[in-house]
Amino acid sequence: MNKLTLVLALLSLLIFSTCSKDFLEVEPLVGSTEVNYYQNGNDAEAAIIACYNPLQQEVTNIQGSGQLSPHFRWYFGDICSDDSEKGGSGDGDEPELLQFENFNGTANSKLILAEWQVAYKGIAYCNIALDKIPAIEMDEDDKSRFLAEAKFIRAYNYYTLVTMFGGVPLITQALSPSEYQQPRASANEIWNLIQTDLIEARNDLPKRSSISVSDLGRATWGAATSLLAKSYAYQNNWGSAYDMAGEVVLSNEYFLDPNFSNIFTLAGENGSGSIFEIQYMNASGGNWGNQLEGTFTNIFQRARGNFNGFGFNIPKEGLVSEFENNDPRLNLSIFREGDVMGDRGVFTLEATGFSYNYYNRKYFSNNADDAPFGDAAPNGPSNDRVIRLADVMLLYAEAAWHTGDNLTVRNMINLVRERARGGNNSVLPDVNGQVMGDALLDRIYHERRVELAMEGHRFFDLVRQGRAGDVLRAQGSNFIDGVHEIFPIPAAEITLSGGEVTQNPGY
Amino acid sequence: MKQIYLLLVLMTFASAHVFSQKMDVTGSVLSSDDNSPLPSATIYEKGTANTTITDVNGAYKISVENSQAVLVFSFVGYVEQEFTVGVKNSINVSLNPNVRDLDQAIVMGYGNQKRSKISGSVSTLDSKEITSIPILRTEQALQGRSAGVQVTQNSGQPGSAQSIRIRGTGSINNSEPLFVVDGIPSFGIDYLNPADIESMTILKDAASAAIYGARGGNGVVLVTTKKGAVNQPAQITYDTYYGMQEPWKKVALLNAEQYAIIMNESRASAGLNPDPALSNPSLLGEGTDWQDAIFQRAPMISHSFSFSRGTENSSTALGASYFLQDGIVGGEKGRFERYTFRVNTTQSGGKKFRLGQNINYTYLTRNALTENNEFTSPVLRALNMDPVTPVSRPNGNYSYSNFIDSDIANPVSAIENTFDNYTTNRIVASAYGEYDILENLTFRSTFTFDLSLGSQNIFFPEFDLGVVPNDPNRPSYEWRETNSLVRIENKFSNWQWENVATYNKDFKTGDKLTVIAGYSALANKFENLSGSRDSLATNSVEQAYLDNSLNFAEQSPRSGGGIGESTFLSTFMRTTYDVGEEFSFAGTIRRDGSSRFGRNNRYGIFPSISGAWNLTGKEFVKSNDKIDFLKVRASWGQNGNADGIGNYDYTALVINGLNYTLGGNQQQTNGAGPVFTSNPDLRWETVQQTNVGVDADFYNGKINMVLDYFIKDTKDMLASVPIPGVVGLEPSATNVASARNSGIELYLNYRNNDRDDFTYSVGGNISFIKNEVTDLGEGGQPISTGNVFGSGDFVSFTEIGMPIAYFYGYETDGIFQTDEAAISNAAQPNAQAGDVIFVDQNGDGELDSGDKVMIGNPHPDFTYGFNIEAKYKNFDMSLFLQGTKGNDLYNGIFRYDLNTTNLPISALERWTGEGSTNENPRISVSDPNQNNRVSDRFVEDGSFMRVKNLQLGYTLPKSVMQKIKLRKIRVYISASNLFTFTNYSGLDPEIGSRGTLEIGIDRGFYPAARMFMGGLNVTF
Repeated sequence: MNKLTLVLALLSLLIFSTCSKDFLEVEPLVGSTEVNYYQNGNDAEAAIIACYNPLQQEVTNIQGSGQLSPHFRWYFGDICSDDSEKGGSGDGDEPELLQFENFNGTANSKLILAEWQVAYKGIAYCNIALDKIPAIEMDEDDKSRFLAEAKFIRAYNYYTLVTMFGGVPLITQALSPSEYQQPRASANEIWNLIQTDLIEARNDLPKRSSISVSDLGRATWGAATSLLAKSYAYQNNWGSAYDMAGEVVLSNEYFLDPNFSNIFTLAGENGSGSIFEIQYMNASGGNWGNQLEGTFTNIFQRARGNFNGFGFNIPKEGLVSEFENNDPRLNLSIFREGDVMGDRGVFTLEATGFSYNYYNRKYFSNNADDAPFGDAAPNGPSNDRVIRLADVMLLYAEAAWHTGDNLTVRNMINLVRERARGGNNSVLPDVNGQVMGDALLDRIYHERRVELAMEGHRFFDLVRQGRAGDVLRAQGSNFIDGVHEIFPIPAAEITLSGGEVTQNPGY
Repeated sequence: MKQIYLLLVLMTFASAHVFSQKMDVTGSVLSSDDNSPLPSATIYEKGTANTTITDVNGAYKISVENSQAVLVFSFVGYVEQEFTVGVKNSINVSLNPNVRDLDQAIVMGYGNQKRSKISGSVSTLDSKEITSIPILRTEQALQGRSAGVQVTQNSGQPGSAQSIRIRGTGSINNSEPLFVVDGIPSFGIDYLNPADIESMTILKDAASAAIYGARGGNGVVLVTTKKGAVNQPAQITYDTYYGMQEPWKKVALLNAEQYAIIMNESRASAGLNPDPALSNPSLLGEGTDWQDAIFQRAPMISHSFSFSRGTENSSTALGASYFLQDGIVGGEKGRFERYTFRVNTTQSGGKKFRLGQNINYTYLTRNALTENNEFTSPVLRALNMDPVTPVSRPNGNYSYSNFIDSDIANPVSAIENTFDNYTTNRIVASAYGEYDILENLTFRSTFTFDLSLGSQNIFFPEFDLGVVPNDPNRPSYEWRETNSLVRIENKFSNWQWENVATYNKDFKTGDKLTVIAGYSALANKFENLSGSRDSLATNSVEQAYLDNSLNFAEQSPRSGGGIGESTFLSTFMRTTYDVGEEFSFAGTIRRDGSSRFGRNNRYGIFPSISGAWNLTGKEFVKSNDKIDFLKVRASWGQNGNADGIGNYDYTALVINGLNYTLGGNQQQTNGAGPVFTSNPDLRWETVQQTNVGVDADFYNGKINMVLDYFIKDTKDMLASVPIPGVVGLEPSATNVASARNSGIELYLNYRNNDRDDFTYSVGGNISFIKNEVTDLGEGGQPISTGNVFGSGDFVSFTEIGMPIAYFYGYETDGIFQTDEAAISNAAQPNAQAGDVIFVDQNGDGELDSGDKVMIGNPHPDFTYGFNIEAKYKNFDMSLFLQGTKGNDLYNGIFRYDLNTTNLPISALERWTGEGSTNENPRISVSDPNQNNRVSDRFVEDGSFMRVKNLQLGYTLPKSVMQKIKLRKIRVYISASNLFTFTNYSGLDPEIGSRGTLEIGIDRGFYPAARMFMGGLNVTF
């Protein structure tokens, strides 16, 4: 009896020890391991879509916390310039943005931290795609297109970082834990990467005219070339900027929409003059914690009171007076008292409850276009028009001025003005051959300001053109040359890098 | 023939005559505690083999030689008594519970050991100590009872977890010890009613905990629930109490008038006129006390019932309880309610075979308010909300602030609009069978199943604090246009199967050998299902069901569900060898495997060894009549830890759902990629402990002392810590650091049972622990954690040679009194008169992260507990206090990043001109000098001493009990958290940690309540 029991016990121990190996192999059932993914064309496409996803982030959780911080492009591009002021319900509303507007911003701000984190998130997905996709067996054309898209998005993210912060850590592949703490590269090195990426990308990206309707919104040759032109311009490399901008303008791929009023409507999204737009749709289901497919820009920039917006990005008097008399674009860009705000009512100071005289019209959305139910905040449908033809045309003009091609300068300005006229020849006279030199440059600057008003470009244009200090100080701000062209590096990131990342001067 | 017969009769009569000198003695043996009979107590005639035992009613009968016979009465756990028979033939004995029974069997892992033989560091608690204070959670019973065991609450909110540290902060990700209930490792102990616990043993050193290997690295708490004893008569108990909780402290804040003065000054610093509403501060008076508005008194109710009974062959124990606690913040909105029911049965089938079953069922429901975060918790909002705004308007609606538009919103309104309920049904069931293969070889197999079904219901109602429709001044957090509902269903299930063989050999020399060997398998599964919809037809929580939604538009994904699994497999063996009464040795080896690690690192081997030397028999001890018991012991061992990490952190997981919109039709397209970092080299965390100790009893067991010195090294700690944004992914667990906790623990207790009607004991424990990081993980980089929004930076820092997560920031050196002084300081270019002077530590003329130094240490120099228990006739009293000394706290309560929120009263002592103060900076609306950066301005002394419990009880006298035929009735009143002595300015100095490497940071911590209770214990 005893021996039998012992034998049984031993046997059972044996049995269990042999099945133990499998017992500890547990495969995840939700998601795939990296080893099992990146196998075919569908996986490659999904990997590329993941690169686009962070572009939509405007109000983001700071890593590791539940705290949300908005960090719109127009926070920095419009409000920090002479085009607009913060707005909101008062000084207590987005106080950190008020500090940046007054050039008092500090490294502790959540705005810049969120901006930094989201840009690097996009870069990380691009690096993953560039690493994993080449090995996949799939259609070679699709593959080279996907890789080009990843390069474009990576360049776009680095463009955001270098224009915001100057030199930043240069990351082109996934980091292992011992590599997490990276020093900053110089601004030049970042620009070089941007330019290398874009030059390679534009070879393999499709032209706008050849992509299918269902792919509208994806990166194109035109988008890469335009961004390349902008990056040359930022470095004052006017020859290359001239070439690149010229290629886009003269490519017959893009046409100015004859109706300026059309550009910022829903119907006008991804229109004939659209070169790169960040896509949004008004899917209900988003809420404050969860930016899905809708944009927050619509509600943030809409007036308060009856219009149920948060009232940010208020155009300033200086911008309004920049417009020439009877320039049709003024009405189409800025709401003034008495204007009808779409299907939401008539703009009066009483209706908004505040004393601001102007609101941005370009990112105004109708009530009818919001998702029928769900949280109003992130359900805006408006795409973010990051690059459009008029922008590149005026950039071409600016580059042409620097390289001495005045004919092109005047052509470009006049084409833009012609469209703006909308058939009414009594307004916006052409720039004639008499205008030369600095006066001509001023005309370019003026045209840029009124054509692209409230689109998040002004501050970066001023910095690029070297005029930021003069122009903004003339408005009474504390802009200090050599300090405020770029923003402070987030203190949290400096701490986490163990001091490898150093702060920008003056902060 | 007749002669032989006569001789026999004579002999019989003769012997009968001899025997007739014997006496019969009868009586009963009771426990002096509660006058309950002691069945199976032993009575023997000293010097003979004449013994008997008492019956079920404690009655006995014994025949003794003559009246000189001495009868010895004994029962396990009670002090032996001797009586000379004399002329009495009826002796009733009342035995006293033993002060310190050296032969008392202490529950250890997989078997019991005598206290005299234990070579590890072990503390015990019995059921009286556990239920002496009214507690909700079992962990609370451990507070202050054992040297080196520190229990802090993570929040004062009812039902929230306690965090337990045995011998310092070891593992940073999950420092919780392992709870083993009736031999089965348990996941969380919140299903257990403290009144069902018979005893708890805390295994503090590695050698004792070694048998539990993995998950034993933070110490092990063995819980034994009440069962019926053999031949125990039916015992029924009922306990109840009712209590009232109240807040015990408020933070000193500015009132409305002071707030207005400060805000006006702030605006003036930027050249702005005062806000019209604040232009006349003296008219504003006191304003609103938001702390009064959110704190309230809240009740606590408990009923608990238990039944136990044992026969020769079986035993049964039943228990049921009900508990309710409302929150001092939110009242019902913070309510915790629990029902438990338990059945425990054992049977023996013949001499060799025993069976046991145990079923626990718990139902608990909890309404939760956010706690300990800086933006939406009601406590934090109350501390930051401006005092000018009233709680509600004359028409009864809640009001919003005209000065703050951010996440600081009206907390009273926010509490009313929070509907977050979590309900769990949990069953823990186990069954075991034990078979004696040989006389000294036993085999036991146990199977446990733990199923927890949780439902969470979060309703976000529509509301609008605006004065008029579309009120333009209404801040964004004070209205919600559409209601919505989230429902989540969770299912946690795990099963464990354990097989253990035990071999015992008693040698003739008096030596004893025990070998146990076994293996166990454990599988966990977690599944969840969630759904959400908005625009419900009725804006009320009673009708908050997804089917009531009116939103039929094409939806973004509104439902989700996933699964996670993990498995553990272990084999282990323990050998103990006792050499006579003097020496005992133990050695354990354990091999654990976990599915949570990559193939290369799946298994870990964890050995340990310990020895004890019982010096009681030695001459110098025997001759010294003061020392009754003296034992020295030493141990060394390793445990592993795999808790607190995800199931698949070793591999990168690619998930879907990273979508983008594309196309003329604006369609959503699927994107996929990893979200978290991964670490293929993820491996077991190993805790290694060396321990030497002394146990001693003095003066006949009146004084008891335990002294330990230990060194605990935790290697390869598993944690998820913040990583630089350049990595691009969210952080997951890695082996981040190694640390050493070393220290001394002392436990002393004096017990005096000399007089029958007055007994008392006084005891205390103190523990000195030093904490130091010995290594950092793969990158070798120091770790920054604890991002506090008021300071906009990380507050805690972990680096080699320093305590874990110490406070790291700038040192201040007064205030610039003049603009000239500020200008001449090159390191602070943006400073002006009234700004804070920061020390440029390295003297390089720049004030940057190189100038950060240690500004505080969140680890205490020592922790202590002290208790007094006394009993006089039918009255009893107990007092228990605990405290810490030398730990710092970081006060992160105030949102300096928002410039219109309320401030502490110290803001009144701001700098207003040269010489006004050297402590507090000027008030200004912007902060170019970053006066509010991480610095010693916000580090405070968190030492405290708290009278945890004071209780007075009265037990009804025997005479009354006999009349009403009940065994015992005791009534009592008690107070918890009666007094707290501390210098900390925040709401409560007893702040837990928020998980990884964030210790002692106050973000608007939900404070503990002061409680007053009255209760009743009845034994039928």
